[in-house]
Amino acid sequence: MRSEPIVSAPLGRSTSLNEMRALAAVIRREWTIFIRYPSWIISLLIWPIIFPMGYILTARALSGVDGSGLTQFQINTGLTEYVGYMAVGTMIWMWQNVVLWNVGGALRNEQMRGTLESNWLSPTWRFAYLLGASVPQLISMLVMLLVSGLEYAFLFGVKFQGSLPLTLLVILVSIPAVYGLGFAFASLVITMKEANAFVFLVRGIVMVFCGVTYPLAIQPQWMQNVAAWLPQTYIIHAVRSAALSTEGFQGIAHDLQMLVLFGAFWLALGMAVFAWMERRARQTGAIGQY
Amino acid sequence: MSDIAIQAHKLVKQFPARADSGNDKKSEGEATSAKKRSFWPFGKRAPKSMFTAVNGVDLEIRRGEIFGLLGPNGAGKSTTIRMLCTLLEPTSGTAKVNGFDVVTQANQVRRNLGTVLAGERSIYWKLSGRENLQYFAALYHIPPTVAKKRVEELIERMEIKDRANELVEKYSTGMRQRIAIAKALLARPPILLLDEPTLGLDPQAARNLRELIAQLKQEGHTILLTTHYMEEADQLSDRIGIIDTGKVIALDTPEGLKRRIDQKEVIRLELTGWHDDLNDKLKSITGIESLTSHQKGEADLWEVNLQAQNSRHALPRIVESLSGNGTRLVNMNIVKPSLEDVFIHLTGKALRD
Repeated sequence: MRSEPIVSAPLGRSTSLNEMRALAAVIRREWTIFIRYPSWIISLLIWPIIFPMGYILTARALSGVDGSGLTQFQINTGLTEYVGYMAVGTMIWMWQNVVLWNVGGALRNEQMRGTLESNWLSPTWRFAYLLGASVPQLISMLVMLLVSGLEYAFLFGVKFQGSLPLTLLVILVSIPAVYGLGFAFASLVITMKEANAFVFLVRGIVMVFCGVTYPLAIQPQWMQNVAAWLPQTYIIHAVRSAALSTEGFQGIAHDLQMLVLFGAFWLALGMAVFAWMERRARQTGAIGQY
Repeated sequence: MSDIAIQAHKLVKQFPARADSGNDKKSEGEATSAKKRSFWPFGKRAPKSMFTAVNGVDLEIRRGEIFGLLGPNGAGKSTTIRMLCTLLEPTSGTAKVNGFDVVTQANQVRRNLGTVLAGERSIYWKLSGRENLQYFAALYHIPPTVAKKRVEELIERMEIKDRANELVEKYSTGMRQRIAIAKALLARPPILLLDEPTLGLDPQAARNLRELIAQLKQEGHTILLTTHYMEEADQLSDRIGIIDTGKVIALDTPEGLKRRIDQKEVIRLELTGWHDDLNDKLKSITGIESLTSHQKGEADLWEVNLQAQNSRHALPRIVESLSGNGTRLVNMNIVKPSLEDVFIHLTGKALRD
């Protein structure tokens, strides 16, 4: 083996540009690993169409094959497009669910793989690992939402009468709330070493309270009060309004306001919990524990 | 610039531990009672106690030396290392790496320290060797043009050029370990921390790696090495620190340590039909100071090492104790104490215990 010059000083220097490069490297690493597992095709193309089918067929059974029972649905929702209604609700639910599993489990997966310590030993900004792991996940989710929209339009004839830019705006404004929860989750999972029970709890709450497959109006008042404190309620309502109705910006203005507030709260909370976890891990050695 | 590369002063690390946890942590260090909680809504919880993993470690590792840190499992070796590389914060005491405090200047410490912890598990198996190095170069903030050159240098140096674009999952353990070492060398840090670098390697790969470690010292790196292979520590280390129950109990050159038990002799027995009763029987012989035993590769063949002040006095009683009960003495030697014997003399345990 060839030898090299006598050691003088380390090569790296901490600058904002180098921190950005480190973040870009985490994103690239995560994306490369993601596409090296062929199962990504199933998660992006097949799962979006299979998952909502159960709910759609249940709705069809209840409304009658000729749609004669849809009147009440229309009164409660203002929409006739129940397939699109179900698809939007379940896709948003799936988005949050996948964020909880993937972003929430990102650090834990690294920990079990044994690579978390070697990342943690570098001088890079710690939050970059979590942020970097979230970006490919966000891109794949956006692709999944787009693909599922196309699948429902062409295979089921769903009429997305609303506006694509407004739908994209809602999704963009929803990102901080959805991922802030994921960041907080990721930090807790590192400490608790187990994600399943928490994921089941949160997604169960979203499924029951946020109107994933039914309008909030049919819930008792106390459930509607709980739903008002969950950002997913506003995301689902706003995406339905933007994609399926012709109400325009007026139909989503209140939801967007709430999502900005929720986003600021959850993002701040996610970062605070991460900082707490990092500090605690240095005291307990949690980073290296499997 | 100071001559000291790594300095630890009265380093202490305590962890909370439950008194009824059932693990054997208490044997590794001292457990002291702390806050007691007699009631918990979901049932009674045992009172909390503090487990002391590292209990006042003082270390000074000189610039340019290879320092071997040895200790039986649970002695506090890993905790000490994790504090030095900033993964753990000390409960009390201070430590400096290349002059930087491990708590208040953690990022400077990370920049000056190349680490191989967890060996082959510390790299990404779904990335190629080259991709791994490019990734870690970015994490160490090496500018892209420098990083590109540095990655290629290390690929060549580690002799993996032909397979640098293959996924790490297709590599042998030795190749993965070389990538892990290349990762540690990426930022050209003055200090290297190698935790069990030859673990799991075949003899040839382990020999190559030892040569590389010796070369790195020649290039000016300070190396903190932990190993379970005593011959490796003896061969590579300029000085050795032996840590047990959270304290450094001996620190000297390998020769200096061996001189400590120069007056003693080691009786090495090979026998078949070993059983636990013999352990107490042999230890009770006057003049026998310690005993370790382990099964050799062949079935039912055991090696037993006894340290004695005077082997001539002890031998007749040893032979007598071994007669009967199906035990058969196959071979016996009086040997010069090795570093392993020093370790057993000091800790009462073999390194792999």
